[in-house]
Amino acid sequence: MILARVDGHCTATIAHPSLKGQRIVLCTPIDEHGKSNGSPIAAIDTFGAGRHSRVFITTDGSWTQGTVHDDSSPIRNQILGLIDDV
Amino acid sequence: MKPGRVIGTVTLSQAAPQFRGARWKVLGAMGPDELSGKNPDGVGPGWTPVVLDQLGAGVGDAVLYVEGTEATQPFDHPIPLDAITVALMDRYVFEPID
Repeated sequence: MILARVDGHCTATIAHPSLKGQRIVLCTPIDEHGKSNGSPIAAIDTFGAGRHSRVFITTDGSWTQGTVHDDSSPIRNQILGLIDDV
Repeated sequence: MKPGRVIGTVTLSQAAPQFRGARWKVLGAMGPDELSGKNPDGVGPGWTPVVLDQLGAGVGDAVLYVEGTEATQPFDHPIPLDAITVALMDRYVFEPID
């Protein structure tokens, strides 16, 4: 699992069909103190995570295929929780 | 999924049969400066992956790509693939706080 902070979002008209209707956020991985710790990653968000909120991300694509209801989806990253405390 | 910018293409004179008709793009890294507009048309330092593209990405386009086994999921036949584009970003906002 990846600890990250939501620093932005993006829109994509042309994308894999499984991304249609999904909110895509751009996140910065963070360390245990909340400091930036790595290059930006994108994830789908079903929580409506707010700007600069801290989130819990999985890179398990087989789980995310279920979320997007598409067994052929290549999407990996998905927010699975909002962080309360580390 | 990671953000990247198309900085080139690769063509092959001979290739594995699974790659017939495949289009390959070279991506530059998009880090905080590239996403936030400090370096709006550039690329950051680091890894420049070659990815399969079925979306029609052109040089200069900002994309999202996936690395790993998941890259092969869209195919109904085995394919030896490391990475694939999954979205062309037409608009993005990024405001890091440190």
